[in-house]
Amino acid sequence: MINYDTITDVDIRMYGTGTGDCFVLKFFYNTEKTFTMMIDGGTWKGTKAHLSKYVNDLKDYVNGHIDLLVITHEHKDHVYLFDACSDIFINDFTFDEIWMAWSEDDQDDLVKEWKDKFGQKKKALAMASDQINLKLKDTTLTNQLKRGFKGEEIVGRFNHFSDALNDFKALHFSADKTGEYKGGLKGMDIIKNTIAKDNIRYCKPGEIASISKLPGVKFHILGPPQSIKAIRKEHGKKGTNDTYDHNKVLKRSDSFSAVITDTTTNIGQSPFDSKYKTDCNKIKTYYNNEDAFWRTVDLDWLVSGAGNLALRVNTGINNLSLAMAIELEDSEKVLLFPGDAEFGSWESWHTIDWDKKPDNGKHLTEDLLNRTVFYKVAHHLSHNGTAKAKGLQMMTSPDLVSMATLDFDAISSNWKTTMPNRGILKELINKTKGRLIIMNEKNLFYDFDEKIPLADRIKSERSRLNEKQQKAYKEAYKEEKFYKQYRIKV
Amino acid sequence: MNTPSHRKLRGYAFDPSLSIRLDTHSINEIIYKVPWEDIDYSDGTLRGEYIEVIDYDPTVETFYETVNFKSESFLAQNGLSPSESNPKFHQQMVYAVAMTTIKNFERALGRKVLWSTRKLEYDPEHGKDQYEEYIDRIRIYPHAIREANAYYSPQKKALLFGYFHSNPIDQADQMPGTLVYTCLSHDIIAHETTHAILDGLQRHYNHPTNPDVLAFHEGFADIIALFQHFSFPDVLKHQIAKTKGDLSRQNLLGELAQQFGVAIGHYGNLRDAIGGINENGEWEPKTPNPNEYNEIMQPHERGSILVSAVFEAFLSIYQRRIADLNRIASNGTGILPEGELHPDLVNRLASEASKTAQHILHMCIRAIDYCPPTDITFGEYLRAIITADSDLVSSDPYAYRLAFIEAFKKRGIYPVGINSLSVESLRYPKITVSENPDSLIKVIASFLRGYANRIAYHNDREHIYEITKAVISGIPLNEEIEEEYGRKVNRQKDDFKIRALETESINYSYNDKIHAYSKHLKDLRNIMDMRNDEKIIGLHKRVTIKFNDFNEFAELTGLVFGGRGKRYGIKDSLTDYGMNMAAFSIQNLRLVSRVGPNGNKVNQVIFSIIQKSNVIIKDNEFLKYHNGSSNKKPNLKKEEKLFAYKGSCTLIMDLDTRELKYSIKKPIVIKRGDEIELNKKAIKDQWGFQNEVTVNAMSEFQKYFSAAINDNAFEPFALLHQH
Repeated sequence: MINYDTITDVDIRMYGTGTGDCFVLKFFYNTEKTFTMMIDGGTWKGTKAHLSKYVNDLKDYVNGHIDLLVITHEHKDHVYLFDACSDIFINDFTFDEIWMAWSEDDQDDLVKEWKDKFGQKKKALAMASDQINLKLKDTTLTNQLKRGFKGEEIVGRFNHFSDALNDFKALHFSADKTGEYKGGLKGMDIIKNTIAKDNIRYCKPGEIASISKLPGVKFHILGPPQSIKAIRKEHGKKGTNDTYDHNKVLKRSDSFSAVITDTTTNIGQSPFDSKYKTDCNKIKTYYNNEDAFWRTVDLDWLVSGAGNLALRVNTGINNLSLAMAIELEDSEKVLLFPGDAEFGSWESWHTIDWDKKPDNGKHLTEDLLNRTVFYKVAHHLSHNGTAKAKGLQMMTSPDLVSMATLDFDAISSNWKTTMPNRGILKELINKTKGRLIIMNEKNLFYDFDEKIPLADRIKSERSRLNEKQQKAYKEAYKEEKFYKQYRIKV
Repeated sequence: MNTPSHRKLRGYAFDPSLSIRLDTHSINEIIYKVPWEDIDYSDGTLRGEYIEVIDYDPTVETFYETVNFKSESFLAQNGLSPSESNPKFHQQMVYAVAMTTIKNFERALGRKVLWSTRKLEYDPEHGKDQYEEYIDRIRIYPHAIREANAYYSPQKKALLFGYFHSNPIDQADQMPGTLVYTCLSHDIIAHETTHAILDGLQRHYNHPTNPDVLAFHEGFADIIALFQHFSFPDVLKHQIAKTKGDLSRQNLLGELAQQFGVAIGHYGNLRDAIGGINENGEWEPKTPNPNEYNEIMQPHERGSILVSAVFEAFLSIYQRRIADLNRIASNGTGILPEGELHPDLVNRLASEASKTAQHILHMCIRAIDYCPPTDITFGEYLRAIITADSDLVSSDPYAYRLAFIEAFKKRGIYPVGINSLSVESLRYPKITVSENPDSLIKVIASFLRGYANRIAYHNDREHIYEITKAVISGIPLNEEIEEEYGRKVNRQKDDFKIRALETESINYSYNDKIHAYSKHLKDLRNIMDMRNDEKIIGLHKRVTIKFNDFNEFAELTGLVFGGRGKRYGIKDSLTDYGMNMAAFSIQNLRLVSRVGPNGNKVNQVIFSIIQKSNVIIKDNEFLKYHNGSSNKKPNLKKEEKLFAYKGSCTLIMDLDTRELKYSIKKPIVIKRGDEIELNKKAIKDQWGFQNEVTVNAMSEFQKYFSAAINDNAFEPFALLHQH
């Protein structure tokens, strides 16, 4: 038995793989031994050759061994490295423990049932996206649209929409070479079936976990919200507001996805008796008349349906992020890693029935947020990624440092309108006094008018730190080609 | 056989869900009486004068048979009986409700409803030499979307209705998975049809330039749907009996879209004008909260502030009108006896309610003519209601106007720039124009009288459109055509010369164009009973010529006429007498001819002038105007942004006195001291709204998929902004 002493430092390393999360935490004890933890391994985009450089650096850093791997959720920007660099992870790494959210437990019948339905929606999204692409290639339609006022612009908008939808599609699932839907993300598949070989711990909110090799550290599981039972129950009680966003995707029957994916069941077919159908050519000719083609409606239902579906699916998965507060017991400091949890998840953390009640009488979640000294910004600084009153405003520690995985060099162009959210940015910079570490500040601005480069603003905000704090920050921060790193002194 | 005056069509008063409720099933099936019109089935669609119903479901690529109103059995039974499973009944329902809504508007406006035109890409060099295209009918697709949604598409000039599987919050209210058709809801159909009609009346109201604009569209559409409930006698009596005449209690008349609301997981209807379900699941009346107007930005919710204001005005007038009946029925105690009301009393109350509702409906619709053509606010709408009503109804014993003012005041809706909330100060001031230009205005007024005479006896909507257009742009003599048209064309050719040479695609036949144009004018002369040697100098040209006293008209209209437009960022356009004058456009020319209850007559011609000022913004402040006459994009520094501000005014001419009565304006220029200067505050406000506020008001869909709130590709009027 090795006898550990107390933890002295934690190094938090954010790999700059592009918009997406890849973190390594190294816990140092005042003995030689350390503990390494990896949280997610994803990026929005990148070639294998490019990404391999990062993964190899990571490998050297941890000597090919990860004590604990946490995968927050199945989105490309959180698991893609395991797909692109699968060979390195499979051959050159060993993993002791792997943690995921309870909602990833495929053995559980209820999760399976839910995943089937959810998979249908993902598939519907992929197919709708393809159909829209196809329709927009029809020049009868686009030429007609272009005749109208600002027609070029409108066609451009539809193409833009189609691109955005493709990005959403890529975020959620793999396609084969022909672009056909192939199911869940390959990265996730590799982790579950090749790397973990079913040796996964599925975490539930309210659990407080610890690892024998890592004394002095407690993992408080915050999300994803609700027990499986609650998920199965589609709605909250009448007259209350306790339904969560992700419940929206659990609708018993989603007409849109059904009609896209499943034309064999009742839901996917015409709702009327076939005797009402007509094959009368007159009406078809009239509808398809080239001069009036701008009034046809074959594209509209796809655009509106697929757009809304994409958002629902996205929020659904984000809210299924494994969110955890890592507590360093001796110092009571907390590191918050919420994945990409959106508001619905944040809100639910405050209703967890913890076994532990803090002495100060607060709900444990609030207490943990109060003590947070490190916050990994959820969902790349988007408007819905960080809760205000029930989140950021509760992070009152004067030592708060934050990291955000945003990189405009590698991001879906359509995300640039929602990220970074100025309100969150402002509050974060203020709260951290400029100790906000962004993966890549290039082309990011503090204000709407894009006059104040974000990097400048952050720097000037740091002048609010006192001399001692400035010195401490300088010592704790490290930046190299492949990563940015911050050391939490315990 | 004489054609009957009406076509009777069976339908739901509300929606199918009320037919399976014990307390309402007996009143939910009603007969819509739609003015008779010939239906054209030749293309396999159901095509009337205003609408065409095409039952194509793109989600399953299926066409459904079209309902035939002609068959004898159909006529004998007042059409198909209400049925969710028969798509032909769905067509009948949308037809009946859409036509009822259209006819309500025509009754209130005293003129035909015209749809908004389709704007076209103007590019004469490539043969695209029309600015717009007349739209005779809007299309109605009863089964076009597979979602809990429905909308009027200004792009397609069409109503698209969706259907979906319901997902109720409480299974006692509705069976989960029930198919819900938005095209079977009176409220949804009336709401969407109103969007289309309003777009035809004020086409700029689908461009949000302040938080009220889209909210106004939504609120107005709800108001029309709500007050149409009061035109169903049996429903009205039933609800009056149920509430014992107190319509401020929960009742169906004040609720919108029952089935839809429940199906998407609301506790009841989609929207309620007088109350809502509280935390305990009980209905309670809404109390007006002045903060809401400052805080709520989402168009539907903000619109419902307007709806509740109008509904409260209705209730207070109704209370006053039935005060005597209440005294009689309660023997002066004001407390009605226990038990049910006497049916006679119910009838009398219902008749008062229906009369009041109709008055309110008409006031709300007529006010649209008195609104500015762009950038509408709720406060301006209130002023329009007061002004329009004061013009038509001289005495106001039941204090309709005060009731409106009171209800708006309670919700913190105050018009900008007035000193007190009285009828006098809210009514737009009458214009006084100095002697000299006044006579010029008389000339224009006389000309518009001519327009009124020409248009008054026309019933063909396309003719009305063509005549109106010709009165604005003028009809040249035959020998002038070549000159007039040729100059236009040559100028455009100059403009496009460089590009044309590059593309070498001058697909242009000058003579063909001239020929087509002269034929068009010949047809117009025929319609207008004009001799061949008669010409019309268009209103546009007349305004250009007559409004040349810069200061006077800049102050009057807030717009810039004559040669000084460039100084205010306004583009010049070359007139046919070779001078550069500030460009503007004339829209919404219309005749308002109404008779009030006391025999008051209103004979007015109304038209709108719209002008665009291009300015450069820096640090959210006006920096300078952009030299408008250049077609080139300016070289902007990084922090500078080009912004087009639309100013406008609605001018109301009294045909009897030949005076300009009101100018309701959204000024580009304002008078300060003796100086005329750019309206920088308005520009700043509009810029601020469109660039910062809207970002917060944007739906999730817009945030992810479109670049701006003014995105032409996406539908602004979805029934539900989902996420």
